[in-house]
Order: sequence, then C-alpha cells, then structure tokens
Amino acid sequence: MDSLKKVALILNLIIITSCAESLDFDQVNDFVLKPVFTAALTYFTVQPFQFFDETGVQENSIEETSEIGIFQNNTITENVVKMVFNAEFKNEFDRDVSIQLDFLNDQDLPVFSFAPIYVESEDLNPEPYEDEIILADNPDIYNAVKIRVRASLENTGTQMNPFDNSEFEFKSSITFFIESEL
Amino acid sequence: MRKYLFFLLTLLMIKTVAQNRQILYNFAELPQASLLNPAVKTNYKFHIGIPLLSGISTDIISTGFNLTDVFAKDNRNINDKIALVLNQLKENDIVSINTQVEVLSGGFRINDKMYFNFGFYQEIDAIGNIPVDFFKLMTEGNEPYLNKNFSASQFNYKADALGVLHAGISKEVNDKFSFGARLKIYSSALNMESTNNTGTFNTVEGSNNLLTHYFDTINLTARTSGLVDAETDEYIDDEGAYIGNTFFGSNMGLGVDFGIIYKFSPQLEFSASILDVGFINHTKNVKNTKVEGNFTFEGVDFLFNRDDSANFWDEINNQFKSDLPTTENQDSYISWRPTKMNAALKYSFGERKSRICYDNRPKDFYTDALGVQLYSTFRLSQSQIALTGFYEKVLTKNIQTKFTYTLDKFSSANVGAGLSARMGNFNVYAMLDNILSYRNLSSANHVSLQLGFNLIFN
Repeated sequence: MDSLKKVALILNLIIITSCAESLDFDQVNDFVLKPVFTAALTYFTVQPFQFFDETGVQENSIEETSEIGIFQNNTITENVVKMVFNAEFKNEFDRDVSIQLDFLNDQDLPVFSFAPIYVESEDLNPEPYEDEIILADNPDIYNAVKIRVRASLENTGTQMNPFDNSEFEFKSSITFFIESEL
Repeated sequence: MRKYLFFLLTLLMIKTVAQNRQILYNFAELPQASLLNPAVKTNYKFHIGIPLLSGISTDIISTGFNLTDVFAKDNRNINDKIALVLNQLKENDIVSINTQVEVLSGGFRINDKMYFNFGFYQEIDAIGNIPVDFFKLMTEGNEPYLNKNFSASQFNYKADALGVLHAGISKEVNDKFSFGARLKIYSSALNMESTNNTGTFNTVEGSNNLLTHYFDTINLTARTSGLVDAETDEYIDDEGAYIGNTFFGSNMGLGVDFGIIYKFSPQLEFSASILDVGFINHTKNVKNTKVEGNFTFEGVDFLFNRDDSANFWDEINNQFKSDLPTTENQDSYISWRPTKMNAALKYSFGERKSRICYDNRPKDFYTDALGVQLYSTFRLSQSQIALTGFYEKVLTKNIQTKFTYTLDKFSSANVGAGLSARMGNFNVYAMLDNILSYRNLSSANHVSLQLGFNLIFN
C-alpha cells in the first residue's frame, strides 16, 4: 500500500504542478490578413508605322481596349483597399508621347482615369510613373469592365517616317493592398 | 474562414510522434497492449473493456511553434506574432494528431495456450507538413517575395477518420516462443490526402513587362472520399453521417497485425510487431482533383492592331485554363494504412515473486526490468524512428509502473511514465508521455496520453 501511495503522490504532483500559461484565443478576432499582391498589367511596343492609317496618313493617337475581370471578382471588391499602378517607358521617337489609361464601364465610359503620362522625345530613361487608387474614394471603379490605353503623339506639324525603326516601349504593373478579417 | 483557422489551430495544438505509444507497448499484460503486439501473453480468463472508456489515446505534435507563440497574453499584435511564427517555420515542420477511442473491447481464453480478443475503435489520424510558402503568400502576398519560389510540394498531408473492427489471437507455442495475429476491417468515414506534389510559383522582374509570373511544372493532386457528396457535389456537413460511416460504411478496407515474443532466457526477452499492414478501397463520395502544367504570365500585350480588336483578358484566361488545367473525377482509389513496426529487448531482474494465474497455478515474475524499444513508421514519404529506453517496476502484485525516455527527431527530452493498477477485477491504467511539457502545456510541442478502464477476470 505504501507503493500505491507513492505512485499516487507522484501522479498528483505531476497533475498539481502541471499548468498552462494563460492564453487569449479572442486575439484571433484581431487578426487581419494584409497581403500585398503585385501583378504584371499591360505592356506594348509601338513603332511609327502603327500611327499611319491604310491611306498613309499619320494619326496622332492610337488606342487599344481590353476587357478586364478583376473588378468582377468579389475578393478584389470586398478586400482590396488600395491599388498602386506602376509604369516604365522609353521613348525613341523624335517627338513627345503621352499615354492615357482609363478604366471603362460597360458603356465604354471612363469610371477612373490615371493622370496622363508624358514622355519627352528621345527620353530613354524617364522617371518611372506611380499612381495610387484608394478604392473607398473611388467607388465607381468597381463598375470597370475594360481598360483602355491611348498613346498620343505630340503634334509637331511634320509626319514621322513610317519606315523608321524607333520604338516607344511601355511596361506596367499593378499592386493590390488587401485587408481581410477572418 | 474562421472555421478553417480554428480547424488548423486545433490540428496544430495536437502533436504526436505519430502513434508511437511506447509506454503501453508490452506493458503490464494490459488488454490494450495487444493492439501494439498481438503476441502479448496474458494470464487471465477473460476481460471486458468499459465501453468507450477502455482505451482513450491521443497523441499530438506540432513542430515549429506552439500555442503560446500565437495566443500568449503579451500585448503584442497577433499579426506580428503570426508573421514571426511563419518566418521560423521550416519546410519539414509537421502537425500530426492521432486519437483513438475504444468503443468495445473484450477477450477470452480459448485454452492454456491461446487467448482471443476483439474490439472496435474509432480513430482520427492526420499528419501534414505545414505549407509555409502558401501561408506566407496568403498573409504577406508575393510583393515582398519577388524572385522567391513558392513551392507546391509543401502541400503534403494525409487525414483519416475511420472505424476499425478487429479480432486477434495470441498463441504460446512453448515457454520460449509466442506469436499473435489480428485481422482488421477498416471502415473509412473520411479520407483526404495530397502527396508527392511538385511545382513552383514565382514572380520575377520581366523582360517584356515589369514582371513575369511563372507557374512552373505544377503537378498537384488531391484525393478525398467521404467529404463531398458525389450526387450534389456539396460538402457533407452532417456529423452523424461521418460517425455512422465508421461502422461498415461504403469505403472499406482490410489489414493485419503480426507479433512475436521470444524468450532467450527467463530474464531476457525479445518482442516485435508489425501493425496495420492494410489498405482501404475508397469508392463512395470520392472526389479527386488534379492541376498540372506550366503557365507564364507577362501581362496583357496591347498590339494596337486597328483591324483586329482582341479580347486579351479572355485570351489569357483561356490560355491559363489550357496550360494549367484543373481536372476532377470520381474514380475509386486505394489508400494504404500507415504501417508501424515495434521491436523491444527486455531484461528482467530484481526480486523474484509469484502471482496466481487464471488456472490457480503460480507464475513467477521479476520485479524490475530494463530494456530498449524501437519504433518505426513511414509517413508522408519520410520514415519516423523513435528509440526508447525503459524501466519497469512491479510495486505490488497489483501495481505496475513503467518509465520511458524516448529519442526521436522531434524531441530529445521526452520522459514518460505509466501506471497500471488492479483493484479486484477492476483495472485502471494511465500513461503520460513527454511529462516535462506538463510544466506549461501551452508551450508544449508534444502531448500524449493513454488511459482506460477494464474488467479483468482470473
């Protein structure tokens, strides 16, 4: 019986001395997912011949439009608080180029327009462009279904040489700042 | 989302060197010890386990972090704490839980040399690597990790909920040699597994655009049975359905255990067992998903083609689905049970005493024993080995104890203790592993215990 008492004593000691540090599981309510995702957006390279129509007349602006699905995604619309648009470019043309990016609704009307990007002639290393969109301040952007890029040439009064191999390069990315509670 | 987090944390709270019950192995002629070695010799006429209480076992492991790391009351922001934990975790950190509840258990002596036992237990067994890269991507995004490969191979898990109906027999061939075998019928309520995945996702500085995203050699496979209703394609959320399927549900399997005991002398004994050599054939409510391929994304290349206004977004979506297709099917599949092996060498010494057995004959025994045990299993493409040194002490003819020290890749300070006591026909046993962690359970990476109550009749 003495042995039983000893064992009981040992087990009691383990149980009595065992403990658990006080924990606060409610902290999980304070947890906020804040990932930052960055993604390639649009890019293009244009040459002088692309500004000429089939009759050989130079047009001072060309544009391209594409549908985009990001604002139809609930994860984006419910959790993205900010987007940052980054662009880099290189202008080998002998005239200035401006780039205008717009988000369009299903009526092809702009619901958000970035500030125009101006690139001086033959500027091969201009400052990168950055603009941010606070989604709460721009709720119309949720109606965007398309993105339109318009490239415009400075009107110098003279046509470019359509056979010139100089290029205008444009590269861009977009970064999503997400905040989501569990 | 909160539900998933809770499930994840619950898994992480639970830690085990996956099913190693080194204290129970060959201990005190307990009926439950025969589940670890069917050759275990007994000296009673019959036994009955107290239903639902005869064998309760849980074993939980989380390597890399513990509850205190995340939930301590320390006035630190939980986002910062989780980020710190994720930075500390390594690719080979795991979470594992194994819980068994014996629903029914019994046995009786056929003759002097043979003992028959049977039972039914329910088991939850889950093990998985922590997909650190995935959690980093979800909590921090890809922006802080340009050029980093997020690995799909970290999705490596296997989870089962099943019922096991079993019957076994131990036979004493002669004074030196005994063997035993057990047949098991598995009834799976839930199986989820995803192993041998490959592939990476990364974002790098691009050449045509600012960034380029690569999904490289992706090969992800996930198999489930019992989770998704095959007819409605919806998750089964009826707990009763899961419990019911542990008893002769539609996803059945077979397995066997074998064990031997050989006495070199009255004092030196070798024993070994191999457990759960078996499989489950999953045929009902199966859903298999596979994602395979490569995909590179550089953004939308505007061509300014005045003759052809393309829908670039749709083209990219279609290309993604074409290059990295997700396929689903309901094909039946086989999952293999995690086979375990035990071996032990035991040297008995001390005072030589006698106790009266079922046939009223005295049986000699030594009051002390020392030995070593080796445990091995192979899970998630990795072998897990544990080496245990033990000391057994018979305190009285009705009270036996066992103390263990176990070395494995998860711990070098695992001290365990077990006690089995009989009061008349009533037997109670309790075993605690990793006792040092009981100083602060919240900081424990490994908690393991077994306890149970039996009626044993001489």
